[in-house]
Amino acid sequence: MSARKPQSRNETSWRLLPFRVLRAAENMAVDEAVFRLNRREALPPTLRFFGWQPPAVSLGYFQKTSREIDVETCLREGIDIVRRPTGGKAVLHEHELTYSLVAAMDHPLFTGDILETYRVISACIVEALKRLGLTPEMVSEGRSAAGTSLEAYCFAAPSKYELLVSGRKICGSAQVRSGGAFLQHGSLLIDIDPGRAAAVMKVPAAGISGSTTTLREQLGRVIGADELARVLRGAFEDTLGITFAEDGLTAAEDALKERLLAGKYGTDRWNLEGKSTPDGQGEPP
Amino acid sequence: MAGFQEDLFYSREHTWVRVDGNIATVGVSDYAQEKLGELYSVELPRTDAEVEQDEPFGVIESSKSVAELISPVSGEVIGVNEDIVDDIGVINSDPYGAGWLIMVELRDLDELNNLLDAEEYRDYVGEEAAIEE
Repeated sequence: MSARKPQSRNETSWRLLPFRVLRAAENMAVDEAVFRLNRREALPPTLRFFGWQPPAVSLGYFQKTSREIDVETCLREGIDIVRRPTGGKAVLHEHELTYSLVAAMDHPLFTGDILETYRVISACIVEALKRLGLTPEMVSEGRSAAGTSLEAYCFAAPSKYELLVSGRKICGSAQVRSGGAFLQHGSLLIDIDPGRAAAVMKVPAAGISGSTTTLREQLGRVIGADELARVLRGAFEDTLGITFAEDGLTAAEDALKERLLAGKYGTDRWNLEGKSTPDGQGEPP
Repeated sequence: MAGFQEDLFYSREHTWVRVDGNIATVGVSDYAQEKLGELYSVELPRTDAEVEQDEPFGVIESSKSVAELISPVSGEVIGVNEDIVDDIGVINSDPYGAGWLIMVELRDLDELNNLLDAEEYRDYVGEEAAIEE
């Protein structure tokens, strides 16, 4: 954590936060803190790669916990449950590299349009996957799983510039937008245990293997998070014509992270019930 | 092609305001629902809640994103559209009519000076649309 002044808005110099493996609650608290303060503190676009320990399931903002996941299985297996600030469906975070990107909505590279934001970020991930030797496709058509047994499962329904390899989803992303900024985060699958994901998400395991692929399946090896993060960083830099300066959270971001952890992401009231307080920060009125 | 209603105020956060005396009805603009895409869910304040101009008052989810709804006015919420809970798609199909979101007893009519009229909003959206090309 540095005590430096916020960077002036140099559009080609972005911030890369350190890679950390954290509990689910802290991951979401960091993401939201960075999102809320980005414009207020005039911070540059910020990218972060991270991991989850213990494994966790994250729910989309509006999902009903008991309908979408098996809470008993999560408690028994020591899988954390967290509710994201972004939309979308349930995701089991285990063998993956997760990215989050925060920027102003009117940043020249993103133009304010939601789909365009997905397209620009997906283009960077596509480049990374190509550098690993894969042939990814960016899919721009929706394929709804509504009414099927896979409905709860995020990775079963590619839509809008989602990323496929061999016709199956390898990376899923979700966004939230407010106050002139957006947060997009997503999971790039390194490996998966279809049986475990199926038990947590209460969907058939065959449905998961049939709709999802992983880097292990495609590369024939388990890629390390640091190698994958390096490839992704280079792909973002070269695709967008930017450079990353490595830096930590500002004092204000760190303080907001702690408040969000205590009052929101660390509470069952938010994670399981989806109830936040009027200021959205989880602190009781 | 987004629609605009001439008798409304608009905000840069893509909400509209219909004013009747000191009561405002608030919704999201046609441009907003078009950009958001198919709507899935909305979270609105309770009656009696206070809303503040330029502060979040709710959350909306579409197939593309979760977005916070930013209030164009300040005051007390005196009505919330319960019908849209069962039929969220009406916000897509009738954003200026049946898709209204909340009714607010305005605290300060002068705040309306901070909003745009239909022509100004049309220009504002035109700017955004032009940049997106």
